[in-house]
Amino acid sequence: MHEYSIACEIFEQVIETAKVHGALEVRHVTLEMGRLSHTNPEQLSFCFKAIAEGSIAENAEFIVETIPPSLECECGYTGTVDETQIGKNDELQSELLEYIAALECPVCGKNARIIGGRELIVKSIEIETEVEQ
Amino acid sequence: MHVIHMGHDVFKANDKVAEKNRKNLDKHGVFSVNVMGAIGSGKTTLIEEAVRHLKDKYRTAVIAGDVIAEMDASRFRKLGVPTTPVNTGKECHLDAKLVEKALGEVDLDNTDLLIIENVGNLICPVDFKLGEHLRVVVVSVTEGDDIILKHPMIFKTSELAVINKVDIAHAVDVDAEKMRDDIHSLNPDIPVILTSKHDWESLETWIGFIELGIGRTQEARKK
Repeated sequence: MHEYSIACEIFEQVIETAKVHGALEVRHVTLEMGRLSHTNPEQLSFCFKAIAEGSIAENAEFIVETIPPSLECECGYTGTVDETQIGKNDELQSELLEYIAALECPVCGKNARIIGGRELIVKSIEIETEVEQ
Repeated sequence: MHVIHMGHDVFKANDKVAEKNRKNLDKHGVFSVNVMGAIGSGKTTLIEEAVRHLKDKYRTAVIAGDVIAEMDASRFRKLGVPTTPVNTGKECHLDAKLVEKALGEVDLDNTDLLIIENVGNLICPVDFKLGEHLRVVVVSVTEGDDIILKHPMIFKTSELAVINKVDIAHAVDVDAEKMRDDIHSLNPDIPVILTSKHDWESLETWIGFIELGIGRTQEARKK
């Protein structure tokens, strides 16, 4: 399963950072997830919990913030997609397809290069440390 | 309770290893192809045809990715080319680390062409670059003509699309040209090849595409 290996990588990074900061417990893990990445937040959270069992992150909650796609065009445009186009085209029946249909340069209309929106970033963690007790 | 900022990008961590793989391949003048596609799309057969045709002209090696078993790897070995099987265990895609490990078993000094068969899947391989020079997506008419719009990102991010088994398109009530149009609606610049293992001319187009890449790599090496 796709999410399992991603959760392993997240777990390793979270534990390493938590230990460096003397954490007794990891309470929250905040992720930034690109809308074009093939990652399912619920499955990811489930896998993370399974991996984290018995560790200081076993009760950590996942907070997911989504990142819209951003574009770069040969005409010089850089920026995000026109969000007003999303959700208007019922025929496409999927948010991912709507985003992909909107990946055109809003200035010249050409097919633009995707420069953002595919990432999966462990943005921050919230931890409990001994000092606070 | 306090907040620790991390900013660790999981996919970029993979991309870094992929870049390392690419440099390693470039250093040895190896042209590499990542063949992605669903189970049963015909990836193994297309690779076999390419290997059969190219192995005497170019030193060819294969990395065969699979969840379990070595069925595909043994098919390539039968053709007499060095083959490295990679069993992912439970994963649905190859990632750069798995390929990095496999590259350690490939005699890169004596390889011109490395074909990597990814795990059968149209979703997961998209997010994981391997360091390859050419990303190919193979789709067959038997998967139905709505398969492309159901999996837009793989067509958006590949550099070559192959529609396979077109000889039986009529039997499965699928219009291969519609599939080609759908691919171009997602990615107007991508070359699309229609193939059938029973049509040698179509296979020659597929093989010619790979040969073009090998030629470019060898040219770049001479400079």
